[in-house]
Order: sequence, then structure tokens, then C-alpha cells
Amino acid sequence: MRLTHRRSQHRGRPAAVVATGAVAALVLAGCATAGSDDDADSEGGGDGPVSLRYQSLAFQEPTIQASQEIVDAWNADNPDVQVEYVQGSWDSVQDQLVTQFQGGTAPDVIQYESAAMTQFAEQGYLADLSGSLSEEVTSAVPEGVLDAVTVDDQVIAAPTLLQSYVVFANRGLLEEAGVEVPEGETWSWDEFQAAAAATTGGDTFGVGWGLAEPTATMLSLGMNFDATYFEGTGEDVTIDVGEEELALPERIHAMAYDDRSLDPVSITQSGSDVMTGFLKGKYAMTVQGSYQAQALTESAPADLDWVAMPLLEADSAAQAANPQTLSVAAESPHVEEAAAFIDYFMQADNLAKVAEGDWLIPASSDAAEVVSTDTEGANGWSTILAGGQYLTKAPFQSATNYPQWKDQIATPAFQRYLADEIDADQLATELTEGWESVSGG
Amino acid sequence: MSVGTVTTRARVGQYAALLAYVAFLGFPLLWLVATAFKSTQEIALGASGFLPEAPTLQNFGDAIRRADLVEAGWNSLRVAVASTILTTALAMPAAYGLARFKTFLRPVTLGWVLVSQVFPTILIIVPLFLILKQFDLVNNLVGLTIVYVVFTLPFALWMLIGFVANIPRELEEAAAVDGAGRLRILVSIVFPLLRPGVVATALFAFIAAWNEFLFALVLIQDPAKVTLPLTLSRFVGAEGQVQLGALAAASLLATIPSLIFFGLIQGRLTSGLLSGAVKG
Amino acid sequence: MTADLETRPPAPVEAPRTRRGAGGRDAWPLLLPALIPVAIFSVLPLLQGIYLGFTDSRAGLNQVTRFTGLENYGDLLDYDLFWTSFRIGLVWAVSVTFLQFATAMGLALLLHQNLRFGWLARILSLVPWAMPPVVVAITWRLMYDPNYGPVNGLLASLGLGGDTNLLGDFSTALPAAIVVGVWAGMPQTTIALLAGLQGIDESIHEAAAIDGAGVWRRFRHITLPQLRPVIVAITSLNFIWNINTFDLIYVLTNGGPGGRTMLPMLFAYNEAFRYGNFGVAAAMGNVMVLLIVGALVFYLRSRLKPAEE
Repeated sequence: MRLTHRRSQHRGRPAAVVATGAVAALVLAGCATAGSDDDADSEGGGDGPVSLRYQSLAFQEPTIQASQEIVDAWNADNPDVQVEYVQGSWDSVQDQLVTQFQGGTAPDVIQYESAAMTQFAEQGYLADLSGSLSEEVTSAVPEGVLDAVTVDDQVIAAPTLLQSYVVFANRGLLEEAGVEVPEGETWSWDEFQAAAAATTGGDTFGVGWGLAEPTATMLSLGMNFDATYFEGTGEDVTIDVGEEELALPERIHAMAYDDRSLDPVSITQSGSDVMTGFLKGKYAMTVQGSYQAQALTESAPADLDWVAMPLLEADSAAQAANPQTLSVAAESPHVEEAAAFIDYFMQADNLAKVAEGDWLIPASSDAAEVVSTDTEGANGWSTILAGGQYLTKAPFQSATNYPQWKDQIATPAFQRYLADEIDADQLATELTEGWESVSGG
Repeated sequence: MSVGTVTTRARVGQYAALLAYVAFLGFPLLWLVATAFKSTQEIALGASGFLPEAPTLQNFGDAIRRADLVEAGWNSLRVAVASTILTTALAMPAAYGLARFKTFLRPVTLGWVLVSQVFPTILIIVPLFLILKQFDLVNNLVGLTIVYVVFTLPFALWMLIGFVANIPRELEEAAAVDGAGRLRILVSIVFPLLRPGVVATALFAFIAAWNEFLFALVLIQDPAKVTLPLTLSRFVGAEGQVQLGALAAASLLATIPSLIFFGLIQGRLTSGLLSGAVKG
Repeated sequence: MTADLETRPPAPVEAPRTRRGAGGRDAWPLLLPALIPVAIFSVLPLLQGIYLGFTDSRAGLNQVTRFTGLENYGDLLDYDLFWTSFRIGLVWAVSVTFLQFATAMGLALLLHQNLRFGWLARILSLVPWAMPPVVVAITWRLMYDPNYGPVNGLLASLGLGGDTNLLGDFSTALPAAIVVGVWAGMPQTTIALLAGLQGIDESIHEAAAIDGAGVWRRFRHITLPQLRPVIVAITSLNFIWNINTFDLIYVLTNGGPGGRTMLPMLFAYNEAFRYGNFGVAAAMGNVMVLLIVGALVFYLRSRLKPAEE
């Protein structure tokens, strides 16, 4: 009975089915148009203005804003070449670029860093920019930095900003421990370590150092101790881990486990996690990428008097120049226009604006001058800009398999060494054998 | 009910165990909720007090103001709704066909349900990427929708076949004797009776699409087209200061739709899963 | 599921029914709209994926892919990191599956008792199931956060340290991740087992109780054997799902620290989408399928045999 009743009740059903189908079609159509709109943009019409997609990795508010202002200014000046700002992210950029290049959906203008771009250049994905950048721009970039973006005599990217590692200190805690803020352009490692020991006590550690991703720090700051790691270029690169290479890891290890002046927990954390501890007064000093100065100016509590210490120096104050870069996808239909936009981005005033947002050193000396005038050296800028002269090309940047070695071999090996799981000899062995297996296989 | 008398001591033990379970299952959720209502400062100070000292909606405001989050939510919603409708529309007739007709496709389909569970997605995703590229469907929400439909269908069929089998065949035969055509029978007898199963299938499809991560990660590259789980995952890794409060608020918001739908279907999903698991 | 319908002999009197019962082709219009997309977008890619595992396919503009036979597999034999990752995957999958089962069994038995507040546990146990895995991972990152999370405080109050970065420390990362895996997967296991429990005929229990069998004996000799099909099904599925886990770990630890939580799916993903070695990644997938199927066959044979005897 009930069932027959139901049957009569559902006479109107076909209409419902049709309606459902229609809705599905509509929703899909909605997605489809949303998709094709953007595609149309990136192709650029035959007659209409050329459109370029610029994928930016800016992540701090002022830098995002500065990048967008540059895009807006360009678009206003160049009605025929319109640039669309696309927001990317440092965390996913590697996977994203592999899929984008493979899928033919790469943006026209790509931001990344030189060490990682080498691989894409060798896979043929990047356009050669030699000759596309103006003399004015290239002449302002130091030779060593320009080298870092040259692969097989092709300029694969324009170097934009450079990061250096800086010691930020809590002046109050230093004074309590009777440590004076050093003058001068550099600060020796021995003094740094002594200051760390002096400020350690109670709940406070002398240093918090976020080394969850240790490889870049080790290879770059290791140059303080003349660590080179690699020799050769491209596929024929050999590794040598000796005394110079082990010097930095050993010093950090000693600070964490012998002096106990470096919080071992901080080693397992990211730089920004450690920064949180620094803001809370847990650490007297912290070693960070210079860009963290932005976080400090932004969110340091009023009673925290922080200072950027002079650059660390051992055998030298050298650090690796691994510049952020802007490249053009080889498959972009508008390589020329994209290169022109990059040239515009590199103009001293523009680059300075971006650098100021991120507390990074502009690759162009003209831009660095602008930054120096704008900021008057305050908020750590004098230290950071002074570091520019010490940045040089490091051999690891020419090693094609560096990204894989970094992920699979070096990062775990350094992490284990810093967690006191293996000793320095084992570290050296792992780094060396790992390189041979990665580059051989 | 259990049999026999239960001693008081056993009862106390049972309640203690239940309490432990409730704490284990519930505490992380409460922590997420509490974090969402704490001020940035309170979180930064690491004061691990459980309840927010001064509950604030600030984080929700911050989360919603992030344009990418809202956009991602809208993308997720469109993909989830479209794949729900398509999955259900395709699964209903197919489940009927598989349950009522003798065809070699039946064991093939059921076999595929199992096979598709065993094979890791990584094996499928590279070729799928290349196939979609040929149809110009990479980096495209339509492509993502198709993928979701295709990967939800086997399980949806598995669930629905059970529901079809429970519809007495006599009803259809009676209608056939009355002279009703096949389509009429399907539309006016079978589908209405299938409604509980269809609801369950639809909600299952919605949740599957709403929560999915790996396909979206590989197939969608344009930041304007990413779905909610992708945006959330990038929120976590963001360099600089991670805003835990806003992250918690956004996560909470992202969970609400699937939670509601899940509440609606859980009973049916269970029976569907079980009828498959036990008898299939 | 529908065996009764299939085996029913066709009644000769009713012409329309024989037509429908026998003619599989009549079902095609109903089936094909669903099955064709499945064939194109999932069966075909799967077959291609298996084939890809025998080629040198890799990222690069205008790369030519060549068939290389078993070369990838030879390389994999020497690829220690892959096997390390596979071992981690096994430890992860076996522990998570076992703990999910054990905890879920306990909870299901409790819920079956109709305790007061049982509803609360029941509802709570559903939430992790509905949450996007990405959100599960975020939730637990908040729990484990060394500055902010409550887990360290809890451990400290139990006298168990409490000053470690649980997800960043070599010895604790995998166990900490396993807890998350259990938390995320326990709910559906509980519900499946609970449904199974409710399907057991109470009269068997009553009879055994009258015969003087204690709680434990009744559990071992009645409940467990009766539940066997559900247990085998749900643990097998859990094992497959666990060893193929990706999103949870990707957000929780991304394989770190030092690869200690590098599950094989994540490893293969990196091989394909970070380093661009598609062929090698597919070969890893093939190897994993073989090993998973092998493990399952072994497990199912050992579990199901006694039931047949």
C-alpha cells in the first residue's frame, strides 16, 4: 500500500531529474568559463594587448605591495603589454614549477632563486636573457652575482635580491650579561660564541637558531670558514667535505652540546618559530635570514630593544650569493615583452622598493644606494647593506643535482649531526657518498 | 545491551576508559576551536591556557579578509557541487544496471573498486596529468571535477548497488505488466525508492571532493584556481610569522561544510561501507 | 551482495523479465555514461602509469621517452633512500593499522554497552573522519607546537620531558605522526566494528553467559570469531589506506626531520614532482603495488583460512 502511494506521489520526478542535469551543466559551464577566461588572458589576443603572467613569491606584506605597485606602474605606462600579478609561495614553488613547465602552464615571468633555476635551465625551460637586459641594469650588478645566473654562457635570470645571515640581539639581555654591542663592520666567531656563553643562564639561552632546514645556512655561512663543498660545473661536479666544510657545523654543535649556549630545541625549528622565542626574551641572540628584520620591526614588543649585530667573520665574512631571480619561460609566446618587464623591475628605484620590504640586499648597486638613502641605515639596514660586498658566488650553485642532494642527503645528514645522532666524520661520509649516489644515479 | 550483571568496579573502569577516549578524540578539536578564538598576542606568548583569556573574532576576520582563502573556498565549493551532481547522476542508472542485469561489466566494475583502492595515486597521477593536458584540462577546475567524479564513482556504485538490491523486483515487474516503459519504471519507481542511497552517495561525493588534496596539488597550479585544502596547507608553511590563530579559524571554517554533511550521512555511509565490506 | 537476485532462475512465463535478466547489452546505455569516463580518466592512466615505470620518462622540454625495460628496477635496488622510506612506510602502516584496530575495538565495545555519555564519544569519533586531512594535520601541529601546543605541557606534568619539538625531533617524529594517524583513522574503524558488534545475535552471548562463560571468554570465543569478516575487511582497507597516506604527512612534517617520516608516497611524489623523474616514480609505484598485494595476500590467507576449516 505504502509503495503504491509513493509511486503516485512521484509523478513529478522526471522534471526533477532534468533539473538536476541542468544544474550540473550550469555549474560545469561556470567552471569552464572561469577556466577559459584566464587561459585567454595568458595567450593574449592577436590584436589586443599582450598579457603576461608574473608569478611572485613575495610573502611579506610590504614586498607584496611594492611588487604590485611596480606591476601597476608598468601597466599604466605600457597599455600594449599588460602584466598580471600572480601570487606564488616559496614552500611549493619547486613542485609547482616542475608541474607548470611540464603542463605548459608556466607563468611568463618566474621568480625563484638561482641555485634552483640551474636545473630548469638545463631542462631547456628558460629563455636566454643575455642581450635582453639593458646595459644600465647589468652594469650595476656585481660580476660574482651575474655569474650565479649564468648557465652555459646563457643568462637564465635577472638577479634581484640577496639574503645574508644576520645575528639579531636583544640589547637588554646583552647588557644584563655585560656584553657590549660590537662596533665595526664584522664580528668574529670567537667573540660571538663568548657572548652566547655569557648571556646563557636561567631560562635564557644565548642563541636560538632555527635550523630545521640547515643546508642553505651551512653552505652559505660556511664560506666564513672557506667551505666550498663542490668543484666543477653542471653534471661534472665533485664534492669535498674536509676541515673547512666541517668547521661551521662543528661550532654550532659545540655551542649546543658543549657550551649549552645554543638551545638544541631551536635547531629543530624553523627560523620564524625561533623568532617567536626571541620576541619572548627566551634568547639573547638569534641567527636569521636578514628578511626577519621585517618581522622584528613589525611585531617586536615595545620593550624589546633589538639590534642587528655586525656580520660574522672567521677566515672571511663571505657568504654565498644565491640571489632571488626573475626568469622568462622559454615557452612563453612573449619572451621579449617579458624580458622588458624584468628590465623595468630591475630599475634602481623599483628594486629598492622591493628590497626595503623584505630587508634583503638588492643585487644592483644602484638600488642598494637608493635603499641606503631611504632607510638611513636604521632598523638593521646598515649591517644588512654592508653585507652586500661579502656575497660571492658559491660552487654549489653550478651543481645541477644540488636541489636533490639538498633535500635527500644534506638536509637529513646535517639535521642528524645537529641532533647529536652522528659525529662529524659520519656527516662528512654521508654528504660525500650521498652526492655520489645522487649525481651518479 | 550486554549480558549478565556488571560489577560496579567494571562499570567504573568502563567510564574511565570512555573518558579517556573522549579526551583523546575531543581535546585536539577543542584546542583548534580555542586557538581560533585566541588573540595573536596570547598565542605568541605561548600561554598554554586552555580557554581564550579574551575571546575574539579577530582571527575569523583575518582569515576571511585574506582574499585567497575566500577565492579558494569558492573554487572548492564549485568543484564539490559539480562533482556531487555528476557523480550522483551517473551513478544512479549505472548502479541500477549493475544490480539488475547480468553483464560482464558487473564483476569488472566491482573488481575495479578494489583495484583502485590498492594502486597508489602516484602511479595514476603522472599519466593522468599528461592525458588531461591533451584535453587542455590541466590547471583547470573542470579537469579537477572530472577527476573527482571518476575517482568517486567506483565507491559510489559500490554503495548504491546495495541500495538497489534492497528494492523488491516485484514492484518493477508489476509496473512492466501495467505497460510502463523502462525509463518510466526507472524514473518513477526505482529512483524515488533509491532516495536514501542517493542522498548518501551525493554527500559522500561532496565530502570526498571538498577534502581532496593530492590531485588538486598536482593538477592545479594557478593560485587563482586552487582549492581550500591547498590554500590551507600553504598557510602553514608560510615563511615569516605564522598566524596560528587565523590558521585555526580558517581550518575551522573549512571543516564546517563537510562536518554538516557528514552528520547527515554518517549512518548511511556506515551501512554502505559495511554492506560492501561484509558481503562484498 | 545481491547473490539471491543473480541466482534466481528466470521465470519462463514472463517474457520481459527474461529479456532483461539475460541481455547484458540492454544494461549498457545505463552503464556506459559512468564507465567510459572511468575508463578514460582512471583505467587508462593506471595502465599508462604501470608502463611509465618501464621507461625513462622525465621532465624537460621536448624530452623523448624511451622504453628501458627493467632498468628502473635495477636502479631502485641500489636506491637506499627508497627502501628506507619503504621501511618507514611499513612501520607506519602496520603500527597505525594495529593501533587503530586496537583502540577502535575498545571504543566499539564501550559504545556497545550503551553507557551514559556514550553518544558524546560517538559524535566525537565521527568528527576526525569528516575533517579534511589537511585540517587534521593543522590541528595536530597546533597540538605539538613547541611554543604553544599543550602536548609538551602534558608530557612535562607527567614527568616525561616536555621540552622537545615532537614533530622535529628524530626519535619522536614518527611516533608523534603515528598518533595523528590513529586519531584520524580510528573513527571509521570504530563505526565499522560497532556495526559489526550490533549484528551479532545476542542470544549466543546469553546462552554462553548462562553456561558460565566469563566476559573475556565470550569476547574471545564469540565476539571475535563473529566479527572476523568485518575485522579482516577493515584492517585490510586501513592498511592500504595507511601505506598510501600522503596529505596528512605532507602537511604535518613533509617527511622530516631528516626523512624520518618520509612515507613512500611522499617519496615518490618528490621523485616525480620535485626532481622530475617520472619514470622512476612510476617504478616505485609498481614496486609498492607488488609489495602491498603480497602483504595483503599473506594477511588474508592467514586470517581467512581458519574460518573455512
